Amino acid sequence: MTKEENNGAAEELQIQSKKALKKQQKEAEKAAKKADKQAKLAAEQQTTSEEDFAKDRYGQPAMVQSQQKPDRVLVRIQDLTPEKADQLVWVRARIHTSRAKGKQCFLVLRHQQFNVQALVAVGDRASKQMVKFAANINKESIVDVEGVVRKVDQKIESCTQQDVELHIEKIFVISLAEPRLPLQLEDAVRPDGAGDEEGRATVNQDTRLDNRVIDLRTTTSQAVFRLQSGICHLFRDTLIKKGFVEIQTPKIISAASEGGANVFTVSYFKTSAYLAQSPQLYKQMCICADFEKVFCIGPVFRAEDSNTHRHLTEFVGLDIEMAFNYHYHEVVDQIADTMVQIFKGLRDNFTTEIETVNKQYPSEPFKFLEPTLRLEYKEGVAMLREAGIEMGDEEDLSTPNEKLLGRLVKEKYDTDFYILDKYPLAVRPFYTMPDPSNAKYSNSYDMFMRGEEILSGAQRIHDPDLLTERAIHHNIDLEKIKAYIDSFRYGAPPHAGGGIGLERVTMLYLGLHNVRQTSMFPRDPKRLTP
Amino acid sequence: MAEAALKELASLEKYLGLKKTNKYSTKGERKVPVLQTKDGQDIVGLVTIACHLVKAAKQEQLLGRTREESAVVQQWLEYRIVQLGAPGAKEESRSTLRDLNEYLEDKVYFGGDFLSLADILMYYGLHSCMVDLTVQDREKFVNVSRWFSHIQQLPNVQQHLPRVHIMKNRIYTNVH
Repeated sequence: MTKEENNGAAEELQIQSKKALKKQQKEAEKAAKKADKQAKLAAEQQTTSEEDFAKDRYGQPAMVQSQQKPDRVLVRIQDLTPEKADQLVWVRARIHTSRAKGKQCFLVLRHQQFNVQALVAVGDRASKQMVKFAANINKESIVDVEGVVRKVDQKIESCTQQDVELHIEKIFVISLAEPRLPLQLEDAVRPDGAGDEEGRATVNQDTRLDNRVIDLRTTTSQAVFRLQSGICHLFRDTLIKKGFVEIQTPKIISAASEGGANVFTVSYFKTSAYLAQSPQLYKQMCICADFEKVFCIGPVFRAEDSNTHRHLTEFVGLDIEMAFNYHYHEVVDQIADTMVQIFKGLRDNFTTEIETVNKQYPSEPFKFLEPTLRLEYKEGVAMLREAGIEMGDEEDLSTPNEKLLGRLVKEKYDTDFYILDKYPLAVRPFYTMPDPSNAKYSNSYDMFMRGEEILSGAQRIHDPDLLTERAIHHNIDLEKIKAYIDSFRYGAPPHAGGGIGLERVTMLYLGLHNVRQTSMFPRDPKRLTP
Repeated sequence: MAEAALKELASLEKYLGLKKTNKYSTKGERKVPVLQTKDGQDIVGLVTIACHLVKAAKQEQLLGRTREESAVVQQWLEYRIVQLGAPGAKEESRSTLRDLNEYLEDKVYFGGDFLSLADILMYYGLHSCMVDLTVQDREKFVNVSRWFSHIQQLPNVQQHLPRVHIMKNRIYTNVH
């Protein structure tokens, strides 16, 4: 090392030490400030512990480990109505927001999609320290609150319980949330565009889905999934009344049911298996086994690498299969009626939920006709041609054309739900029964909601010879579907059916734009968590 | 571009009822159309030639009957060349359509209440754009569609171009 370099290094050292010195000074100052603050806080606490007369009325009790069974009724927030005025009640809820203002603190307590305004004010029931404690509880913490229900003169517009507020006498934290939330609930329920005007934030979909547990707490999500549960319930209820039997089918299957390209392969001991794309084969086998009318609610899997607003890789399928007497329209009518019963049930029993979702995602009310409108594919094509669309007779409907046809049907018939019957045979799976009067067409149908397909169904071929012929026509390896074809050899009744995607029905009924909004924990080619 | 311009002039000749078709050539990198007249003079440029043809057909009313009218016609003829003929016009077509839609809201023709050469040339110029629009977009630019539908139905205007289907009833009302 030369001298110069040495010098240079020394200088550098000096500079460094200078810097370090400054840093140290700063840190010392900081520490002093901190100590000061702490001292102040301690002093405050000391004085408070001396004076606090309400110290038994708030705090963070020990973790609930089921040590006791207190004789305490927790009233639900939705039940806090003027009838309960002047009663002393216990409530368990989350801290939605809190706003301290001098000697009082306003809280909004939330339970599911309901909320109420609560108030802690310094007085003979609450001390200064208690108000401060209440104001400092982190958002989203769960609290047990005892308070008096009081009528209010002016409606509280921001809450669902507008006519009362809760005057808190005791408040205990049951579960403390972390101070920083990955997303704010208010931001997550703001309608698209409304944020821009006020310069406020909205939360994008990926952030929502990454923090799904919090996003699911929003009023909109709560309403969506309560309504979705309603769809399943109405589906089951209607079909059971019609004499259907609910069945459970395996999801691990040995051969792909509808074309081999879009199935998930799983390793199955020494061989491989597939995840079911639909319970198609099994529900048909149940028909051959004399169950006559069956339905099944369960997961179905599609390994399609399509990232669209309406594709998921796992979704819930509502499947129907039914033996009929002479014409497959017997089945179509049953399915259509089931859908209509669902729409009616939602309209009548889920008004609040629909309104809640509409607040964030406005849409027109869902319209349907009774009996359901049934158009033939040919008529649909004719309507599209009339609107200037060029397409072949046997061409499948593209998504834009499907949507356009939906608009045309809505304009002409004023319905958001209709059936398109008699699809070209060429665009349907091999087990679809050909139309007896025109070999180019088939006894198959799709059902549409707001111009998007929700159900695909058909009369199935119940004759093993015709089934074999069609399979060969579709270049399907007969060996692989032997068991399926064989099940029709011992007497099989004519039958038809269809499968609906639960998420799609929810999405389209509510007029939402993305199927991920109606899937609780969506799975798509890019998302496997949460 | 050049092909289209020559076709357009041929269509215009037919529309104007000119019997003897002219011979055209093109000039320069952008293939500007050139018309050689009988007396040996060259007329250059789509709009210039178009105006010449209108005069030759003795249909001067298509260039405006008063000075105000002819100023408006000239303005739209220039728009046709500068805005619709410019490179990259295709990419900007949506904003062009939005502007035109606003302009045409209270007008039957580009000049207001009289048919002019501007309508004919704007029709030829916008045709490729209108063909590509979806039904929903045609409804969105409803005033352009109304004007376009009107012009393409005038006798002898359509000529070499396929008809664009414009729906008469609105189907996307109240779309959220």
